[in-house]
Amino acid sequence: MNKSISIARYHPEQDNQPRLQAYQVQSDHSTSVLDALLQVQQQDPSLGFRWSCRMAICGSCGVMVNGIPKLGCKTFLRDYPDELTVSALAHFAVEKDLIVDMQPFLQHLNAVKPYLINSEQSAEPHRQTPAQLAKYQQFANCINCGLCYSACPQFGLNPEFLGPAAITLAQRYNLDSRDQGKAARMPQLNGKNGVWSCTFVGFCSDVCPKKVDPAAAINQGKVASAGDFIISMFKS
Amino acid sequence: MKIETAQPKRSDEPIWWALFSAGGVCFAVVLPGAILALAILPALGLTTGDSLSYARMADMVYHSLWGLAGLAFVAAAICLPLFHAAHRIHHGLHDLQLGGGLASKLLCYGLAALTSATGVWLLVKAWVS
Amino acid sequence: MSDKPVSNKTAPGPYQPVMHRYWWLQHRYFRLYMLREATVLPLLFFIGCLLYGLYCLGQSEAQWQGWLAFMAQPWVVLLNLLAFIASLFHAKTFFELFPRVMPLAPAGFMIAGQWLATLLVAAGLIVILGGWI
Repeated sequence: MNKSISIARYHPEQDNQPRLQAYQVQSDHSTSVLDALLQVQQQDPSLGFRWSCRMAICGSCGVMVNGIPKLGCKTFLRDYPDELTVSALAHFAVEKDLIVDMQPFLQHLNAVKPYLINSEQSAEPHRQTPAQLAKYQQFANCINCGLCYSACPQFGLNPEFLGPAAITLAQRYNLDSRDQGKAARMPQLNGKNGVWSCTFVGFCSDVCPKKVDPAAAINQGKVASAGDFIISMFKS
Repeated sequence: MKIETAQPKRSDEPIWWALFSAGGVCFAVVLPGAILALAILPALGLTTGDSLSYARMADMVYHSLWGLAGLAFVAAAICLPLFHAAHRIHHGLHDLQLGGGLASKLLCYGLAALTSATGVWLLVKAWVS
Repeated sequence: MSDKPVSNKTAPGPYQPVMHRYWWLQHRYFRLYMLREATVLPLLFFIGCLLYGLYCLGQSEAQWQGWLAFMAQPWVVLLNLLAFIASLFHAKTFFELFPRVMPLAPAGFMIAGQWLATLLVAAGLIVILGGWI
C-alpha cells in the first residue's frame, strides 16, 4: 500500500525554520515510522535522522509523530490511517532535519550524578533483597531517549529545568540501598530548576516508551526535597 | 552554557507546595460537600425548614466545639484552598508566559495570606464582641 | 547557538524552537491540564461567597437574610454549580495523582479510600447544615 508522509526538513545553512516535505512510501501492517524514514532516505539521501537498534532499546530514533513524541521504531504506520507528519523532537535545537542537539539533555543527566556513589571499598558484592530492588527498579528502565523532555512544557518554557529523565535517575539512585550519594544529589533537586519546576502535567509518563513514570519519580522527589528542606531548618 | 558544578540555591517552594497540597486535599475532600450543603441544596429548597437560620448558624459557627468547628471550617474551606488556588495561578501565569517570577509570587501568595487573615479576623471579631 | 528565527538567514546554525503562549491548545492532554489548573477559578468564586457570608453573619440577622437571598440568585447558583463540578474534576485528578506521589498502598485502594472520604464529609456537612440533626 502506498502512503504519503510529511517530514519536517531543516537545512542549517539554507533554512530559517523547518519546512514540510511530502514523500510516498510502501507500507504494510508491520511498517514502522523508522522503516518509512529509511525508505525515504533511499529516495532522498539528504534526509538526516538518528537510529540504531530498531527494537526500542537504544533510544536514538525519537521523533514527533503528529506532534507527539514517539520512538520511530515502536510506532507503526497502520495506526495513522490519515495524515502522518514526522518532525524533530520538540524543545530541542534542530541540527538538521530530524536530528536534534541532545547536549542540554546530557548535561542535565550528568548534573544529578546518575551512578552509584559508595565509599565502601569492598571486594564483596553489595547484596540487595528483592524488596530493596523493587523500590527503584521501575525508574531504572530509562533508555535516555529524551521523549519525556519533548513532552514536557515546563522544559520548553525553562530549558534550565533538569527535566523528567534526569530527576527520575536521581530518584532511582537515591532509592538504591547500595547508594550513599543522596546528599550530593539533593542540592540539584532542591533548586528552582530541580523538582520544583514541575507542575505534574504528566505527559512525560504518557509518552515514555518504557513505562518508567517519570512524573511519579519527580513528585516523589518533591516529597524528598520537602523533607530535606525541613531537616535543613534544624541543621542551621 | 551553564556550568553544572555550581550548586543551585535551595528553593522556598516546599512551603508553598505543602500549603498547595493541603489545600488540594481540602478542595477535593471538603469543598464538594460544602458547596452542596451551602450553595446548591438550599437554593433548590432541599434543606429542612430553618436549617440556615441566623440563630442556628451563628451558634454553629461561633460556639460549637468552643468555636473550633468554625475555625476548622474557615481553615479547610477558605484559607488552605486559597493557598492552593494561589499556587495554581502563580504557576499558570508562568505557563501562559505572563509571570511566574517574583511579582506574581508576591501577588498570588500575598493575596492568599491577606484574604485568609480576613476570614480568620471575621471569626475572631465576632468572638470578642 | 543561533538567534531567534529571522527573515534572512545570516549564519548557518541549528533552529532554536520557540514556544508560543497558546502551546496548551495543541493537544487534548495539555487542554485537560489547563482545565485542571483552571478549576481554582470557580473555587475562588465560592470562597468569595463564604467570606461574604461570614461577614454578613457577623453583622446582623437582616444582613444574613440578605446573604441567603444572594446565594439563591440563579447566576450565583449557576457559578456555584460550576464550582461543584470543578471540585469533583479536581478531586478526580488529585486522587489519581496522590498514589503516584506517595505509593503507600495499591493505587485503586487509595483512590477508593479518598472518594469515600469526600463522600463521608459531604454526607456529614449535608446532614448538619441541612438541619437533619
